[in-house]
Amino acid sequence: MQSARRGGIDPHLSITHYDPEADLMLLHFGPQHPSTHGVFRMDLHLDGEVVIKATPYLGYLHRGVEKLCEKLTYVQQTPVVDKNDYVSPMTNEQALNMAFEKLMGIEVPRRARWLRLLLAEMQRISSHLLWLGTFTLDLGGALGGGSTVFLHCFREREMVLDLFEDITGARFHYNTHTIGGNRHDLPAGFAAKARAALDGIEARIGEYEDLSVHHAIFVARTRGVGVLDGDLALELGITGPVLRASGVDHDLRRDAPFHAYDEVPVKVSVERGGDCLARAKVRFAELRESIRLCRAALDGMPEGPICGFKPIRQPTQSKATSGQVYVGIETPRGELGTFLVANPDAPTTPYRLKIRAPSLHALSALPYILPGATVSDAVAILGSLDPIMGEVDR
Amino acid sequence: MALKGGRLPVVDERALPYSHPLYDTLLQTPGLSVATAAVDLVLEWGLRNSLWIFPMATSCCGIELMAAAASRVDLDRMGTIVRATPRQGDVMVVAGTITVKMAPRVLALWEQMPEPKWCIAMGSCAISGDFYRNLYPVVPGIDTVLPVDVYLPGCPPNPEVLMHGLLRLQEKVRAARSGQPVPRDPNPGLIDLTKPANGRVGDPSRAADLGAQQVAAALVASSLDRSDEPAPGAEPVVEAPDEPAEPAFEGVAPEFEALLRDTFGVTDFPKDRAPAVDPARHVELARSLKRMGWRQLVYVVATHYAEKTGAKASPERFEVAYALRSVGAGSKVAAWRLELAPGQQPPSLVGLFAGADWQEREQFDLVGVGFAGHPDLRRIMMPDAWDGHPLRRDYPADKECAPWR
Repeated sequence: MQSARRGGIDPHLSITHYDPEADLMLLHFGPQHPSTHGVFRMDLHLDGEVVIKATPYLGYLHRGVEKLCEKLTYVQQTPVVDKNDYVSPMTNEQALNMAFEKLMGIEVPRRARWLRLLLAEMQRISSHLLWLGTFTLDLGGALGGGSTVFLHCFREREMVLDLFEDITGARFHYNTHTIGGNRHDLPAGFAAKARAALDGIEARIGEYEDLSVHHAIFVARTRGVGVLDGDLALELGITGPVLRASGVDHDLRRDAPFHAYDEVPVKVSVERGGDCLARAKVRFAELRESIRLCRAALDGMPEGPICGFKPIRQPTQSKATSGQVYVGIETPRGELGTFLVANPDAPTTPYRLKIRAPSLHALSALPYILPGATVSDAVAILGSLDPIMGEVDR
Repeated sequence: MALKGGRLPVVDERALPYSHPLYDTLLQTPGLSVATAAVDLVLEWGLRNSLWIFPMATSCCGIELMAAAASRVDLDRMGTIVRATPRQGDVMVVAGTITVKMAPRVLALWEQMPEPKWCIAMGSCAISGDFYRNLYPVVPGIDTVLPVDVYLPGCPPNPEVLMHGLLRLQEKVRAARSGQPVPRDPNPGLIDLTKPANGRVGDPSRAADLGAQQVAAALVASSLDRSDEPAPGAEPVVEAPDEPAEPAFEGVAPEFEALLRDTFGVTDFPKDRAPAVDPARHVELARSLKRMGWRQLVYVVATHYAEKTGAKASPERFEVAYALRSVGAGSKVAAWRLELAPGQQPPSLVGLFAGADWQEREQFDLVGVGFAGHPDLRRIMMPDAWDGHPLRRDYPADKECAPWR
């Protein structure tokens, strides 16, 4: 039987072959624990305080989304995938509808592509703010009284959610993308309100950096913790900020442009450290870059229709009889992809739909980077990967 | 799941009459009732104003629960703080979908909470399972597991709704302590303390043709939309084509195509899907691609094609699609697929790409394709004792998951 040993660490290590004299302890971590970011479970074999082997268990939120999508028509699926990565529903909708558009050969109007770019970048801001708030909670009370950063981040996140509510009427699950475009256009006076919110957020990013990546205790907790090698990250299929923090210069927004990213160039931030601190720095850089991209999108938003078709379309019009497509886009967590097989017998429904979840790949690094870390570092490492169990388990 | 038989009985211990010899003696002591009434009043006031939340946050509603506890809504001012341990919680807020794998854990945690305790079902998944209700892994409502006091509809409910629900729970606590009926909610559409009887779903007639029913419902819904004419001054909209357009697979990168043609003898490059490769040689292909710069594993997807009879008869078969991505500027995907007979096991890619470990386990679990040489091929999503592979086309979507449904 072949071993999957990487970097000297075997994720399938047989504990019975480990030092029989060692007084090992088995710690069940999760599935109900706030620092697991949902319902994730790990079995940690500990030698004293040090992790020897980590065995993740998934599926506590497996809701059968892919089976459900096989039963629904193409136009009915957008609100379903909202709930997958519930911290960035906008990008879920985009990845799904772009796959449908590619399968059916449908063009998206230019304004809709710019609108999607704006929504994706706003979503990235709110997602990274939520990550920062929960990550500092994970690291414990040393950082400005524990939940200080968390409370501040939620204040700014609410600003972005208010903007989304102005556009779509919903705070959380938007259902605003459809095949061929978007359902909701920007309301009157949106640009001014959005600019004010962006200015407010940008002014406070420096404060957050002082509380985190410039803070001695934060640096002590994160530097050199959970180092992930770039080659291993590529092998594991890790994408997004975690990959870029490991020194791999790869971002689909620049390397395989979608939406209007070919018209609005993206500056990709890369860090060499590969540790939790590098991941935090990459996300901070992305926060600033996203604010810049949002302003660029507001400035350059072209006029025109936001949907190539009537927004509420007959389900029978969205159909495909043959073909398989894959579309991957860059979400706040990495490459979110949709693999789609058309159904020749029922053209309005897919035969097979698979969602490639970036969080699932990020979590698969845990058996490789946890051995050697302490229990408290394990919480920091898990938080720095920014997993969302909704899309891991689907 | 191995659990078979009827539903678990849900016992609400609070409904049982309380009796204790000392309590009964105190009740009959003259003069004491005034004092106990005063103590009871203080106890009730304290209880009602310090409802500590134990968050059973599994999915999206958990984020709104966090938002409710955070700066804008700020639950703390109601004496409600979030404690992440069942020992310190008074109210379990079930925020999110509960699956068959999670439900026993929820029940275990509920039993660890000390009395008196209450439960809030936050969001439509916790109330009824929402649109996952008819699906194989989802529990149709947390009230099949434990007794619920307040239901908060919404997907997800706004933080303000959670706050309203807590205020209603305070009223319920007061009413229960004083033996009065719970007052009606001024806005019954927003919040429901007495859920209407919910018929259990699980009858096979609903399973038979869920897809066709959904299409029919959507057709009715869209026929109500009569606004075919564009609004005056609006941009003209393009009508959808009747015939589906030519499906566009992303095309095969030239060097990948040359490799397939020259080394692997592939001659068929269909326009609408990835080229098929001999399963015996696909590890070799992956190794060549990795050497050529396709270093990132993108996906492993297995598809089950059920047996078809009639005019377009075809035997049962499987397909496994793989894709690798080149890194950096001009990133391209190299995708191929393997055509497999039932029971045929393609060689595993774990030796080359560590990420194939979980991807292949997922496809094994959900579709039932084995991978030869995988070091740890066991279920990843479903419970270990689960029967069948849910994403096979012949697997019923609403398979019974006793005892929950």
